[in-house]
Amino acid sequence: MTTPLLEITNIHASVEGNEILKGIDLTVMPGELHSIMGPNGSGKSTLASVIAGHDAYDVTEGSILFNGIDLLELEADQRACAGVFLAFQYPIEIPGVSTKFFLKAAVNAIRKYRGQEELDAMDFLDLVEEKANSVNLNIDLIDRNVNEGFSGGEKKRAEVFQMALLDPLLGVLDETDSGLDIDALKIVADGVNKLRSDKRGFVVITHYQRLLDFVVPDYVHVMIDGRIVKSGDKTLALELEEKGYKEFETCGSSCAC
Amino acid sequence: MMTTTIDNSVFENLHKNEAWMYTNVSALSKIDFEDCGEFDTQVIQTFDIAPENPFLVFVNGTYQEAYSRCAPGTEINAGAHGDIASRGDSVIPRGESDTLSITGNQSKTIYVLQLITGNAPIACYGNVRIHAANGESISVAQTHVALDACPHLFMPCTEVVAEKNATVTLVNAIRGSKMAYHLGSLHVVQHESSKVQTHTITLGGKCSRNEVYAYLDGEHCESNFDGMYMLGKDQLVDNHLRVEHNEAIGNSREFYKGVLDENAKSVFTGRIYVKEDAQQTDAKQTNQNIILTDDAQATARPQLEIYADDVKCTHGATTGEIDDEAMLYLQTRGIPADAARTLLIYAFLNESLDELQDDSFQAVLVEELLSNLPGGDFIRSLYL
Repeated sequence: MTTPLLEITNIHASVEGNEILKGIDLTVMPGELHSIMGPNGSGKSTLASVIAGHDAYDVTEGSILFNGIDLLELEADQRACAGVFLAFQYPIEIPGVSTKFFLKAAVNAIRKYRGQEELDAMDFLDLVEEKANSVNLNIDLIDRNVNEGFSGGEKKRAEVFQMALLDPLLGVLDETDSGLDIDALKIVADGVNKLRSDKRGFVVITHYQRLLDFVVPDYVHVMIDGRIVKSGDKTLALELEEKGYKEFETCGSSCAC
Repeated sequence: MMTTTIDNSVFENLHKNEAWMYTNVSALSKIDFEDCGEFDTQVIQTFDIAPENPFLVFVNGTYQEAYSRCAPGTEINAGAHGDIASRGDSVIPRGESDTLSITGNQSKTIYVLQLITGNAPIACYGNVRIHAANGESISVAQTHVALDACPHLFMPCTEVVAEKNATVTLVNAIRGSKMAYHLGSLHVVQHESSKVQTHTITLGGKCSRNEVYAYLDGEHCESNFDGMYMLGKDQLVDNHLRVEHNEAIGNSREFYKGVLDENAKSVFTGRIYVKEDAQQTDAKQTNQNIILTDDAQATARPQLEIYADDVKCTHGATTGEIDDEAMLYLQTRGIPADAARTLLIYAFLNESLDELQDDSFQAVLVEELLSNLPGGDFIRSLYL
């Protein structure tokens, strides 16, 4: 039997004493793309942060296995080295550090962890160019400081480029579509589709069905108030688009239906 | 060897003066200073980083003709200071030294090395006068280096005059020994539509006091007084500025940022004075600190003294730890916490060095920064 790439069991997480995730179960097999949809404040981004290892969130119950290893035991950087990648909703700007500098540190940290030889400047730049071309990223952005002065679309595209460069087993995309116009959305979707493979899995968090026209999910989950209230195939996303989240809210914690 | 003429009793009670309350240099009153010492001339070459540029060398306050490259407009005179230095209320002792005078339009950055070295404590001045006449442009990169494990004392007085439409850029770097004292004052007079940019970088020294007195005596002046510091165990920097807007439509910026490790201390006092007639002044002062330990301490004292009614003056000071969100971002890309922290400290400081116009000088300062920065080798490994 294949080991699940990601196996989340009954995860409860809170921030400053407020419980946000109230028992999430989610299993992602290699090659699968799962979409998580839900209204604002339902806990979608919290789930992404908990998977990536943001220490502002306390996991109070439950487990997360990644390829069979206990992810919660690992620091954020170790999770990245093991193969988890989070594309941020709001990628932070870091003035003073060139993107090249930052990416060389990242690529070589991950290679070192995986027992691979670190790349020298020449090989690193070749790799950067190849990956930038593969996701249609303007290579000039790499000469700028990390995300500094990037437009909203450039930031999201740069996240997808970083994912291509770091070659993870699991890509978690936190509202990568937010703030994008239709052309930028297609480019980002195209980048994600190129990275889909039978070994790699994705968790794609989104508000709107629109992204899923371009990145077609294998499964769609509806998250409301810290719980997954319904799961289905891609037709569930269309149903949501039509009926809105209201339909599902009645099935929340206080409902006896 | 002769003992200098400095009267070091002045240091004994200096910290009772409000302007010096965070910077106690009373230890200087107990040191017998000399004014010259033996030194190895080889060391000068290591600081000669731009062979194409003029290079003026002073060791213990004495001009070293044999190691220097003059340019038209550079001159060495005996003397103390001009009139400008008397305008402020600086109490740092001033004295005679070989004084460097720089005038005329200078197409290349002029490098100045002020070296202090000897087996016994040495005190010296190292006075510099920069005068850019109408429309002229002068750029100076000055390094103050104290060598040896000795409490040497620098008291350099730098005077800058920028006449109408003139441009002066001056970088002052304090490097080397972490036992030395540096009590420097910079005096700037600007006339109509002149531009002056100074950058004071403190990486060495036990105790460095960097005073800036600026007088914007013409309309449409533009002034940038910037500073950066990275200090560790038992080091202190005191950046003390007074910027006087005496005429209308002046634009001044003070921007100082630094990182404090171990029990390092920083003091920032920035006074912006706006005279009645100096309408439409736009002045801003900022001091940002990153504190790496519980023992490090940053004190910021922004001060505004405004007598005009149509002005824009702002001040801001931040003291904090490294940004958690930035740490998380780097860690989610596989970079371990230690390396991520180093990268962010470097980023914070390098932003300040990035603005330097002279690439060779910038490279030297980045190198000095990396050798002071815990984990600096990691940053070097990222160079492409």
